[in-house]
Amino acid sequence: FSVLAFFQSCESNLDLQPEDNRLVGDAAFENPESYRQFLAKIYVGISVSGQEGPAGAPDLVGLDEGFSNYMRLYWKMQELTTDEALIGWNDGTIQDLHAQTWTSGNEFIRTMYSRIFYQVALTNEFLRQTTPEKLDGRGVDGNLRAEVETYRAEVRFMRALTYWHALDLYGNVPFVTENDPIGAFLPQQISREDLFTYVESELLDILDDMVAPRQNEYGRADRAAAWMLLAKLYLNAEVYTGTPRYSEVITYTNNVIGAGYVIPNIPYFHSFLADNDSNGAQNEVVFTIPFDGLRTQGFGGMTFLLHAPVGGSMNPAAFGINGGWFGIRTTPTFVEMFPGEENSADGRALFYTQGQSKDINQVGPFNQGFAITKYRNVDVNGVAGSDPTGDFPDTDFPMFRLADAYLMYAEAALRGGGGNVGTAVGYINQLRERAYGDTSGNITSGNLTLDFIIDERARELYWEMHRRTDLIRFGQFSDQGIWQWKGNVPQGTTTESFRDLMPLPATDLGINTNLTQNTGY
Amino acid sequence: GTVTDEANGLPLPGVNVLVKGTTTGASTDFDGNYSLSLNNGDVVVFSYLGYKSKEVIYSGGSRLDVTLNEDAAQLDEVVLIGYGATTKQDATGAVEKINDERFNKGAIVSPETLLAGKSAGVRVTSGGGAAGEGSEIRIRGGASLSANNSPLIVIDGLPLDQRGGAQGTRNSLSAINPDDIEDFVVLKDASATAIYGSRASNGVILITTKKGSANAPLTVEYDLKASAASNINELDVLTADQYRGLSSISSEFNPALLGDANTNWQDQIYQTAIGAIHNLTVSKGYENFNFRVNYNHVSQQGTLLRDLYERNALNASFVQRLFDNDLKLTLTTRGILDEFFFTDQGAIGAAAQFDPTQPVRNPDGSLFQYSQIGNANLAPVNPLTLLLENQNRSNIKRFISNFNIDYRFRFLPDLKFNLNAGIDYAENDGAQFNVANPNNPGAFAFQNFYSGLNRNTLLDFYFNYKTNVESINTIVDLTAGHSYQEFYIRSDRTATGAGGVLNTFPTVINRNALESYFARASFDISDRYLISATFRRDGSSRFSPAGRWGNFPGVSVGWKIMNEPFMANSFFSNLKLRGGWGVTGQQEIGPNYGYLGVYTPALNDQVSAQFGNQFVDPLRPEAFDENLTWESTTQYNVGLDFGLFNNRLTGSIDGYYRETEDLLATIPVAAGSNLSDFLTTNVGATTSKGLELSLNGVLAKSENLNWDVNFNFTLQENEITKLNLSGDPNFFIPQGGIAGGVGNTIQLWRPGLDPLTFFVWRQVYNNQNNPIEGAYVDTNADNQITEADRQAYKKATPDAFIGLTNNFQYKNFDLSFTFRGSFGNYVYNNVASDRGNLAVVLDAPGDFQPNAHQSVLATNFRSQNLFSDYYLQRADFLRLDNATIGYNIPMEKVNLRVSLTGTNLFVITEYDGLDPEIANGIDNNFYPRARTFVLGLNFKF
Repeated sequence: FSVLAFFQSCESNLDLQPEDNRLVGDAAFENPESYRQFLAKIYVGISVSGQEGPAGAPDLVGLDEGFSNYMRLYWKMQELTTDEALIGWNDGTIQDLHAQTWTSGNEFIRTMYSRIFYQVALTNEFLRQTTPEKLDGRGVDGNLRAEVETYRAEVRFMRALTYWHALDLYGNVPFVTENDPIGAFLPQQISREDLFTYVESELLDILDDMVAPRQNEYGRADRAAAWMLLAKLYLNAEVYTGTPRYSEVITYTNNVIGAGYVIPNIPYFHSFLADNDSNGAQNEVVFTIPFDGLRTQGFGGMTFLLHAPVGGSMNPAAFGINGGWFGIRTTPTFVEMFPGEENSADGRALFYTQGQSKDINQVGPFNQGFAITKYRNVDVNGVAGSDPTGDFPDTDFPMFRLADAYLMYAEAALRGGGGNVGTAVGYINQLRERAYGDTSGNITSGNLTLDFIIDERARELYWEMHRRTDLIRFGQFSDQGIWQWKGNVPQGTTTESFRDLMPLPATDLGINTNLTQNTGY
Repeated sequence: GTVTDEANGLPLPGVNVLVKGTTTGASTDFDGNYSLSLNNGDVVVFSYLGYKSKEVIYSGGSRLDVTLNEDAAQLDEVVLIGYGATTKQDATGAVEKINDERFNKGAIVSPETLLAGKSAGVRVTSGGGAAGEGSEIRIRGGASLSANNSPLIVIDGLPLDQRGGAQGTRNSLSAINPDDIEDFVVLKDASATAIYGSRASNGVILITTKKGSANAPLTVEYDLKASAASNINELDVLTADQYRGLSSISSEFNPALLGDANTNWQDQIYQTAIGAIHNLTVSKGYENFNFRVNYNHVSQQGTLLRDLYERNALNASFVQRLFDNDLKLTLTTRGILDEFFFTDQGAIGAAAQFDPTQPVRNPDGSLFQYSQIGNANLAPVNPLTLLLENQNRSNIKRFISNFNIDYRFRFLPDLKFNLNAGIDYAENDGAQFNVANPNNPGAFAFQNFYSGLNRNTLLDFYFNYKTNVESINTIVDLTAGHSYQEFYIRSDRTATGAGGVLNTFPTVINRNALESYFARASFDISDRYLISATFRRDGSSRFSPAGRWGNFPGVSVGWKIMNEPFMANSFFSNLKLRGGWGVTGQQEIGPNYGYLGVYTPALNDQVSAQFGNQFVDPLRPEAFDENLTWESTTQYNVGLDFGLFNNRLTGSIDGYYRETEDLLATIPVAAGSNLSDFLTTNVGATTSKGLELSLNGVLAKSENLNWDVNFNFTLQENEITKLNLSGDPNFFIPQGGIAGGVGNTIQLWRPGLDPLTFFVWRQVYNNQNNPIEGAYVDTNADNQITEADRQAYKKATPDAFIGLTNNFQYKNFDLSFTFRGSFGNYVYNNVASDRGNLAVVLDAPGDFQPNAHQSVLATNFRSQNLFSDYYLQRADFLRLDNATIGYNIPMEKVNLRVSLTGTNLFVITEYDGLDPEIANGIDNNFYPRARTFVLGLNFKF
């Protein structure tokens, strides 16, 4: 018997669980704060790269941790592929983004996709862990219960945001919701049209549960963020589904515009400074991705966006950082959108030209192509942010802001969505008055054309992760539209239109037999 | 007289006949006859290779005829096989015993080094020249991909943690004093290793330490090895003059940034490394008790400045026999204090990059930094700053002990009981200090305090019943037992965090356990036919209860052909055919709780979400696979053992085929299905096959002259056969990260290929045979060069490797050497590909110009061409690993041996980088393997 008991005790010793601060199953949710901490994970899913700042416990392992950050990758997808930016580095296939010669093996395209589906998996897991049954089982009620209900709506917003990125970049992607398990199964593919419908229905469904506009905590999404995302979805509906939905753009931009956001009466560049959460710029911002030099650190996000464009003879101290990474510049095509170019009266033309050539004969050297000084880690008084090492900035990223809503309204009005062109001109002039500091840059309704809109969107929203989507909507991304080094030739050339969609990564196609590659790849 | 073979009465030619204590002697002729004049009382010694020597006292008479017996000892040598032992002639698996006569010589700090080049199918590749550095050991190439590919190492019955038994060390095997090792037994094939079940896919190495012996006089032995090591090669970076010459090659080169010094930075960072190994050993054997106590001190510098390893160890073993030897108690215990003074190896890369025209020091004596010239935030730091000002010291206290009870039942002497209780306990404690980056005014100094505990506890027992069933002329040997082993690892860390403030990380605790039942049945029928079957059932805490238990059987057969009547007059002196099959497993996958959904709190408060004015630390759900289970490997082995010329030439040939299924690999997971992009899961398959030959020749054997040569040769092939579910032949996973840009890789995993296959563009050359920058073969003929044109080409794994050991002894002199060679392997020269271009000099991110690799002078490359096969070079090599000359100084009461050893004396290779022997085939910032000269002194009283 004692021998049996001995064996028994040994076998039960094989049921081992973590004994440190890691937790398993329901135990993870015994602490009421855990729901808020899990929600925090979903929000910082955009801004940081793992559980240890600035690096050390990555969420994804397929690419260098700093490179694998959501915002850094999404920025590269949306900007490096366009006339707004190119990068001089030699990291993997990064050059193929601007050259538009990427293949399904591109690791940046792959990791963006991985990051998107990581974020989707996180949000699904949150929703699985907060079903009424689970909450009942854990005895969650009262205030916490109500709070968790709000969290669920925000998590569904975050999932819709990410699925929007997926349908915009990749079109036809794997589709998983909270109804799928966690495991090693093969998700089904959803068509771009069906995913559009899903994202739309999700956003419409959560509107009532979202906190009213401008009433939520800073950094969290509210109803206006959902309206904004609906507007962006509808604005591109023709690209996504073949069916234009411009009248809905008018509806939801009107909602946003009517929610109390204002174009602050401060210079344009203040919106991109270390104190842009408090210097007035925040009054325009519908949805922000906050960064903090001490508490929200990583090598992606704003750290990337502040260091990578600094180089040459630029003084890092003027940017509130310890040094540049000598990477990103812009093309002459973008410079030429500003009348007077680097000497433009338009205050949005934030170029650095000393020692920089406008033309780019070689992609590698930083001094070819004008540098851009839009983002800085100093406050309005020039004082650097909170991190004394100068590595990590305080500058928050304004993902959705009122200016975009104005421009979307104007575009939808021009494209026959209703609305009022006169109102639109008024909106645009608000932006231009901030840009010029006076009314000298104002336009009339005669100036308001679609050609003007696409350029104005570039002038107002450059380097804010809109350009690729905008160019595709205007048919200028691939088989039309030329800028230096597009097509991997110095003067630039067109590419094939199938590049309006990114390829599904070869790795996922190799694993998930349910997937079919996008045409052309 | 005449000397004949006792077995068959045939005369023995060439027998040595010697009057003991004199130099008077003779040798038998072809008919076995000899003649010698003798005095009454002379002791005559008859010795003949392969036969037992005989001493006969001459007591008059004209003839002294003698018969000699064949010495079967060589074949009857006991060989451990895990939970028991067999003899060499009864072994049916691919098992090789390597004892101290064949060990590598030199100032050897770590036991695996003893084995390099000594056994067919076993490859030991040191990680470089750092003090106390470890090695990668591969038996038959390793069966897995992401899971552990290192063999299971068992010391006196205690299996070590395959992850390494201690933290804070360069090599957790360094806890074992090489001087304390009696022998290694390498179990190569699955029929031999299956008794170790789930940890045996990559082979097993059984280490037996020295125990002393019964009835032995008190022996005191002192052994000293004093060594001096220096590098034999350096990286081919531009000299100061070549560097200045870049201004004639490129107008972008900025001479204003140049200094006026001529500094060879590599000369600055390396030194002649001094080392000493002391061993003091006392042993004595009584009738029922024997002990051996060894004190070992090691102090070894690396050739990189301030690199030092120190070890103080006390190793003891006690054997007590009771009840007429029916009960044997063995205690082996070792206490080790390891101390590493890790030097900052970043200096190797910094020296390769640092401008050779800059001085080491400023006139005021301070070290030169690039920031003195201008904006240099991302510039390399003066390598001497890294070496002289950064510190990282790690202490490991380790205790390894094993208590063994071996009991023969009095009422049933064929039945034995064996119990083994073992512990391997290590505490480590380390402190690191790095100065603030002198090129970055805002930077903080970095402090890191780390400590931890590793505990590996084992309890196993078995019963063994061995009897001769005469009715069927069969020896039956049965074993059955149980084992439980638990591993506990704790780690703590406090390090500089945001704002320069010390941040204490949460304690990490990992515990895992294995429970096992095992059995073996062996039959030796008529001393001709051998059958052995083993079975192990393992349960691992790393898998869910449903998939936790795995069964691992093994069967092997042997045919001692030599004992068949028809072999009576054969040309062979030994012949045995072996065959085996077995299934083994793998559970060493990294994560301990991979089947459970675990939530991890943030490790520090620097990844918080800002909600209003609050910062909320995130909680992360981890990826998991509920269905995670064993990786299983099936292996077939066929072998032939043979002996010729009276066993003057013996050898073995083994052929194997191995298939691994449910491969535990960390691979991309279908997007959306899990909580990461990569997941450790059961996917895919690999196969490997090989042919191993080992030959042992005794060229001379007599009292004064002995000469042994051992040669081994291995042919092997590993292949991934499946990596995913779809079977898409183009599916691959990039592997082999390289320097030069971030996230670049140069190898791939793809079905049909070796796991260390390179993935390159094929370089196009001009008429002068110089590479044309950016011109590659358009392999898919789409008129553009994209990643799609990269091809799988060559591999880092050798096709074949050899070892040659030579031991020669003439009277009191001895000479031995070991050659090791490797063929068919390629190395990617990452130093050249990263730095052999102008871009690294000209496009530096700041006001500084780093140095380039000399290949830029040949290629004139403006940019990095990282994926060009230009940098892939054949790296076959033949290395004289060591050579030793020794002399035994004959003295009355003391044995004194003096020896001089040279290690790493030369390497013959076409590879023009630093060293062709790089485990993963990517040569970058490699810590050079030095050439060492060792003076050895050994006193024995």
